[in-house]
Amino acid sequence: MVAAAQHPHIKLMTFAEVLKVDGYVGNFEITVKQKARYVDHEKCTGCGTCWEKCPSRTSSEYNLGLGDRKSIYVSFPQAVPNKPVIDRDSCRYLNGGKCGVCSKVCPAGAIDYQQEDQLVKFSAGAIIMATGYDLFPWEEAYGEYGYGRYPDVITGLQFERMSNASGPTGGRILRPSDGREPQNVVFIKCVGSRDDTKGKSYCSRTCCMYTAKHAHQVLEKIPGSRAFVFYMDVRTPGKAYEEFYQRSVREGAQYIRGRVAKIYQSGDKLMVKGADTLLGMPVELEADLVVLATAMTPSRGYGEIARVVGFSTDKDGFFQEAHPKLRPMETNTAGVFLAGACQGPRDIPDTVAQASGAAMKVCALLSKERLETEPMISSVNRSLCSGCLECARVCPYKAIEEDSVSERAGGKTIRRRVASVNTGLCQGCGCCTVACRPGAINLLGFTNEQLLAEVDALCL
Amino acid sequence: MNRTGVFVCWCGSNIGAVVDVPRVAEAAAGFTGVVLATHYKYMCSEPGQDTIIQAVREHRLDRVVVASCSPRLHEGTFRKTLARAGLNPYMLEMANIREQCSWVHRQEKDKATEKAIDLVRRAVAKTGLASPLTAASIPVTRRALVIGGGIAGLQAALDIADAGHEVVLVERESTIGGKMAMLDKTFPTLDCSA
Amino acid sequence: MSIEEKNWEPKIIGFCCNWCSYAGADLAGVNRFSYPANIRVLRVPCSGRVNPQFILRAFQRGADAVLVSG
Ligand SMILES: Cc1cc2nc3c(=O)[nH]c(=O)nc-3n(C[C@H](O)[C@H](O)[C@H](O)COP(=O)(O)OP(=O)(O)OC[C@H]3O[C@@H](n4cnc5c(N)ncnc54)[C@H](O)[C@@H]3O)c2cc1C
Ligand code: SF4
Ligand code: SF4
Ligand code: SF4
Repeated sequence: MVAAAQHPHIKLMTFAEVLKVDGYVGNFEITVKQKARYVDHEKCTGCGTCWEKCPSRTSSEYNLGLGDRKSIYVSFPQAVPNKPVIDRDSCRYLNGGKCGVCSKVCPAGAIDYQQEDQLVKFSAGAIIMATGYDLFPWEEAYGEYGYGRYPDVITGLQFERMSNASGPTGGRILRPSDGREPQNVVFIKCVGSRDDTKGKSYCSRTCCMYTAKHAHQVLEKIPGSRAFVFYMDVRTPGKAYEEFYQRSVREGAQYIRGRVAKIYQSGDKLMVKGADTLLGMPVELEADLVVLATAMTPSRGYGEIARVVGFSTDKDGFFQEAHPKLRPMETNTAGVFLAGACQGPRDIPDTVAQASGAAMKVCALLSKERLETEPMISSVNRSLCSGCLECARVCPYKAIEEDSVSERAGGKTIRRRVASVNTGLCQGCGCCTVACRPGAINLLGFTNEQLLAEVDALCL
Repeated sequence: MNRTGVFVCWCGSNIGAVVDVPRVAEAAAGFTGVVLATHYKYMCSEPGQDTIIQAVREHRLDRVVVASCSPRLHEGTFRKTLARAGLNPYMLEMANIREQCSWVHRQEKDKATEKAIDLVRRAVAKTGLASPLTAASIPVTRRALVIGGGIAGLQAALDIADAGHEVVLVERESTIGGKMAMLDKTFPTLDCSA
Repeated sequence: MSIEEKNWEPKIIGFCCNWCSYAGADLAGVNRFSYPANIRVLRVPCSGRVNPQFILRAFQRGADAVLVSG
């Protein structure tokens, strides 16, 4: 992370969103909204006085509700950049209140309540999509697990935040309800994955492995603890993966093949009822903590960003690759590439491999001084063009622009509207030629005359 | 008047065992604008391509039809051949007499040969109206935009930047790192994830 | 010619999109499928390139059927 922040060729824009992408491969015109941070990062030294003194607390998104943060905050101690932003929804001052504490205590004079969102424009030759994933909102679908009513039913990612040393519990695995260390931890895999009726039909690919990791962490960190894993299958296709899983089993993780039918609260315990389909017997376990391996879904806002950049998504909303086997890091839009979980669920080794591959594709593009465009594109005969722009209406790539020509008519010079083809955008599909009534637009390499001659030759 | 050369390929026995290749070449010799029609065992091979280059020079051909496999396979190859022969690469047309003829009509050799002749007639007609095309070129902005600052975006940005290109990395949250920074230790190595 | 006549075969002209059905016809070849030899395929960059005029022209010149596929 720090390597990226310090790299002389990388410009980081955090707290920012891509609003608009115009242009085409080699020359995209990009508009980014830099959201107001209310902190001048040029002046801020990251000393931390402000978030120490800020009187306003709210739940920390980064810790997935397992802890609080202030209204002026950095997400976690090693955040990059390690400088705060003010959350405008919860800050007292920005909501008309009195406060202003951070501004008073900041030794660098970096607080700026007047800051506004800014639009930044620049151009780029290539784009890599790396928007990642989010997790399936299990609370909306799994009534049998309590719809999120039981505080000690958590997700795998919440478990990660707890076992992380700089997380809300300082690395200790604790029950959110009473802060006690759990003894019996039950893991449930495929929550929302491989389940058409409730969630998604696909396999999320990472859960088998991270659940094996979590079971290991429970057994390692909590003396005398027990870990149970409800599973449909154990899938460990990766180098050293099967060995990893076997290690957790050797350490004592108990794998039970079957689904959990119900979880309910009984005193301060959670009762987990399910079936062991290998033994053909019902099982009932008393758990202190239940961890759900929830499905990976496309990152929130995926549809919007796909529309803005201009490429398609698959049936589940993951970004569509140009070819599943041969062009896995390209989209069908020239110059737009894919890396990581935005294309489909995957773990870190696969993500890194794909990211390097996508980077290679981009380098191949950017190492060219100029880009050759496909010559088989449309061309307008301006003297025939009536300026109706029917062609522009049908062009799927928005490659036809309005232009004008000067002509002398009746002793006067007049300007007349005509269509003009943007050679960078035209993909040579030829749809425009069919829409053009005066026959003014023709497709080079597949002209009307050529196609008619071909028909004649074949019908002879 | 056009000076078209037609080159029919046997593709070993892939085409030659079904389609009567010499008969196709003979028929092609009679099409309008064709000044040379010949055949060879493997058109795409080095000697095959040299045959085309030689013929272009000797017979002052201004356009070429290659009747062989699918253009989706070898159009690029033969366009380069034309360029080497000093012709505009877009003065080429291919007749697909393998994938869409000999391979799918193996039981009907006569009909396959007739169809091959028709397909060559189509190609000759099309290339007869071809005009030289040149690829335009546009300047490339040597900067990449990476959207998303998780491990995928960071790895890609670092690789591109290490290659010497500028990168703008846009992340919507206040920190980069994505999900990986939220994790504790990561499988399969169990090392830290920052 | 009448359809009852025994050996009559329609003459079919096919417009196939380079990216899908033309590629599909290639694949049929690669897999050595067999189909009747009375279809003649023309390659277009997109089925949207097919002007109705081309279809009418094919019928005018004696085609019995036209297939537009994309
Ligand atoms: C509980 C759990 C444990 C895991 N443990 C492991 C493990 O031990 N080992 C392993 O290999 N894998 C593990 N994984 C998988 C791992 O998290 C992913 O493989 C990895 O994070 C994918 O990286 P990414 O960069 O593609 O996506 P992300 O990490 O999701 O990063 C995407 C980034 O893009 C940003 N973004 C999204 N949309 C936009 C937008 N429109 N504009 C700007 N920015 C945007 C996001 O804010 C985020 O920073 C685990 C997953 C889970 C759920
Ligand atoms: S007190 Fe000022 S300098 Fe220190 S972290 Fe806060 S904004 Fe930055
Ligand atoms: S103005 Fe007050 S509430 Fe707002 S961020 Fe500063 S200290 Fe916190
Ligand atoms: S050929 Fe297709 S992409 Fe090009 S201008 Fe015409 S409709 Fe648009």
